[in-house]
Amino acid sequence: MKRNSISFWVTLLVLIFLYLPIIVLVINSFNDSRFSSQWTEFTFKWYDKLWDEYTVWQAFGNSLIIAISATVASTILGTCAAFALHCYKTPLQKIHYGLVYVPLIIPDILMGISFLLFFIAINIHLGLFTIFIAHTTFCMTYVTMVMMSKLQNFDFTLVEAAQDLGANRWAVGRRILLPLLMPGLASGALLAFMLSIDEFVITFFVAGQGVSTLPIYVYTMIKFGSTPIINALSVIILALTVIVVCIAQSLSKEDQ
Amino acid sequence: MKKTLIIILTILIATPFVFFLNHAYHRSSKQKLYLLIWSDYIKTDLIEEFRIQHDCEMIIDTYDSNESMYAKLKFGSGNYDIVIPSGYFMEMMNEQGMLTPIDHSRLPNLKNLDPEYINPIAPELLKIGVPYMISIAGVAYRKDKVSEIEDSWDVFNDSKYRGRMTMLNDVRETIGAALIFLGYSVNSVDPDEIDHAVETIIQWKRNLAKFESEQYKSGIASGEFLVVSGYNGDTLQVIQENPNVDFFFPREGTAIAIDFLTIPKEAPNPELAYALIDYLLDGSVAAENMKTTFFFTPNLAAYDLLPEELKTNPLLFIPEKIRKKATLIRYQGKKGIIYNKAWNKIKGA
Amino acid sequence: MEKKHEWFVTLPSFVWLLLFFLIPTCIIFIYALKSQDIYGGIEPGWSLEAISNLFDKDYTLLIFRTLMISAITTAVCILLALPVGYQMAIAPKRFRKLLILMLMLPFWTSFLIRIFAWKALLHPEGFFNNLLAFLHIISPNTTLLYHLGAVLLVTIYTYLPFAIFPIYAAASKFNFQLFEAAMDLGASRSQAFLKVFLPGISKGISTGAMMVFISTTGAYIIPDLVGGFDSEMIGTRIAQKVFVERNLPEASALSILLALVVFLPLLAITMFSSRPKKLELELRNKE
Repeated sequence: MKRNSISFWVTLLVLIFLYLPIIVLVINSFNDSRFSSQWTEFTFKWYDKLWDEYTVWQAFGNSLIIAISATVASTILGTCAAFALHCYKTPLQKIHYGLVYVPLIIPDILMGISFLLFFIAINIHLGLFTIFIAHTTFCMTYVTMVMMSKLQNFDFTLVEAAQDLGANRWAVGRRILLPLLMPGLASGALLAFMLSIDEFVITFFVAGQGVSTLPIYVYTMIKFGSTPIINALSVIILALTVIVVCIAQSLSKEDQ
Repeated sequence: MKKTLIIILTILIATPFVFFLNHAYHRSSKQKLYLLIWSDYIKTDLIEEFRIQHDCEMIIDTYDSNESMYAKLKFGSGNYDIVIPSGYFMEMMNEQGMLTPIDHSRLPNLKNLDPEYINPIAPELLKIGVPYMISIAGVAYRKDKVSEIEDSWDVFNDSKYRGRMTMLNDVRETIGAALIFLGYSVNSVDPDEIDHAVETIIQWKRNLAKFESEQYKSGIASGEFLVVSGYNGDTLQVIQENPNVDFFFPREGTAIAIDFLTIPKEAPNPELAYALIDYLLDGSVAAENMKTTFFFTPNLAAYDLLPEELKTNPLLFIPEKIRKKATLIRYQGKKGIIYNKAWNKIKGA
Repeated sequence: MEKKHEWFVTLPSFVWLLLFFLIPTCIIFIYALKSQDIYGGIEPGWSLEAISNLFDKDYTLLIFRTLMISAITTAVCILLALPVGYQMAIAPKRFRKLLILMLMLPFWTSFLIRIFAWKALLHPEGFFNNLLAFLHIISPNTTLLYHLGAVLLVTIYTYLPFAIFPIYAAASKFNFQLFEAAMDLGASRSQAFLKVFLPGISKGISTGAMMVFISTTGAYIIPDLVGGFDSEMIGTRIAQKVFVERNLPEASALSILLALVVFLPLLAITMFSSRPKKLELELRNKE
């Protein structure tokens, strides 16, 4: 690595730039001052308060419920879609591809408002269920893309060989496809999960005013400028993210 | 190795889930009361006390603006027993038949209400809601950072504090402020007067950072903003945190907003709803609430129970000469569309 | 595999997307042709009012401003992503994994929280503001927040990874021997960079640019939280129409406008390039 090349220094600066707010966040979570802009003294009290704050845990719980159910639904739907798109090349699949591709490139505010109007038009109450539908739709398109690329690298001769040896469809599915696709499914599911947990804009539109997910809770806290427990919460989320990402990395390393 | 990692991952994900389930489990089959109220509106101890007294469960959803509340009622899930809209929203909701009339005979504590504040209110409003809290708009500022300040709405014309001022992100309040400044009525629907108000606000806008109805409180406390338009009750709360904040009512006059306790149609438990309203009208309960939220409740029985410094606080017990110049914002029905059009023009300029 | 099986596998996702994507999109078009009632609902009957309102001149300003913000953000992100992608591609194996991890981490933390961190950083009474005032770079009374500069800073910050990863993905597949060959033939380092490397990773550049452009154009939270009057974007206006003014027809009309503002430039660009369209989601695959 050429230490004195432009690209090295730019990369370094970019890294500093990317981490600057995060460092500020971590420091402020231990800041005794009520206002994040001035430092008074070191304290753990915001973490304490976070622990007692019932609404945070409720929002977190909602986020988890939605994320887990949306992950399951979107992984199933996405994998089916990926199979269909990979194995068949009919005009039907062309339309299918369009339906899968377009949501990926639409800004999330447009998805949010279209869901909102849809739910209003069919007169369904806004709440956890509507959020689940929105998240599943949004996540499945990503899962489809991930699975499609995994399928492209998949060796289908194994399937043919198994069928030649007399295995029926279910056995092929269970013994060959599923185990070999498992890493792909896992990464698709993990992606769906992370997307759902952090999803804000679409959720904001379709949650109505009562149901809170973690990002919505964070947004409300920012708007109201309430106690700095938000800093403490951020640091915890950060730490959890680091752990999950590291685990995911080592999991995928094992497959190589 | 991979298996252990997966196990760790699962435990990580499952643990908070367990916490949540633990919290959620504490739901029993008692009577339930569904409240849709402003955030930080009723002291949590009082809610606890009512809950124990009536052995019921209180499910509380909150909102931070009338618009959110309205959207929640129209498009949200579930029915509520109590909703607390501000005056003109209540009128609009009533026009759509969303509220039930209040049966005054079921509220013995109604007699506690202070006639001085209640009499000016139009009787048709009192039929559908019980006045609960009165807030008056004005201007909050940092007295440690702002040298001299005029007690006029025109303070927003001062470019000295450019980019450090905000006004409420509320169509009626902000247009109302300009109308009052120009000597017109806050409820005017005259196109010329409104145009004039729009011009004024566009001029003020040059010095504003943004229109803000929520962040102005923390903004002025932390010094992000130096001059903001806001409500007396909110500002009193801020002053507790940061004594460097002060407040004035502009001399040209100002607008009043009254929050009414109402019972929506299809309320699941009107019995408990009336019980809660009566409870809130009780003198000691009202006093407790006032001490925490700093919003004024016109409750005679509560006045004497307040500590000395609140009894004489001009931000809570607003002097009569200011009240005389304060007008209640009224719903204008179809004619009100002119306000939205004006707001669009302001935002676009 | 037989036709029946095709239907069987396609049906779940096809029906789901038809129901929850295609139909809602159609509903937006329908709502755009209706008019608002005073209670925030919809009047029966049709009206072109919402669409004709789009031709007001203040929407032209809004569109222009949104496109300008997107264009600047995209340009800066690509300019920053190129050296970073290059550096990542030529880094030795063990550094590379670490670098990828470090760049991904901020990207995976909640984006709201990162915006909140910027608000604290840029606070008028904050450390950073005081530092700049002390160094006489800015006057003590300037606010770093609630204007165009703040919005640009935060959008660049937020969407930079969207540019870095596709460019890195393309760079990692780039055959660096071509680079060496060019230099052997007499080209200088920068000439080789411009004429060999850049065209070689053009796929990555265009994917990255597209992702940043689309995301920024539809941005709503960032101008809402750190922007002021001079930085209102189409997304913020849509949100205001939905939540504050409760004018769903105008919100729908504006949404259609936003979709046009996003897609027309992209369409124009793809028509100029003759490469086949295929979305690469390598950046999403890097986990």
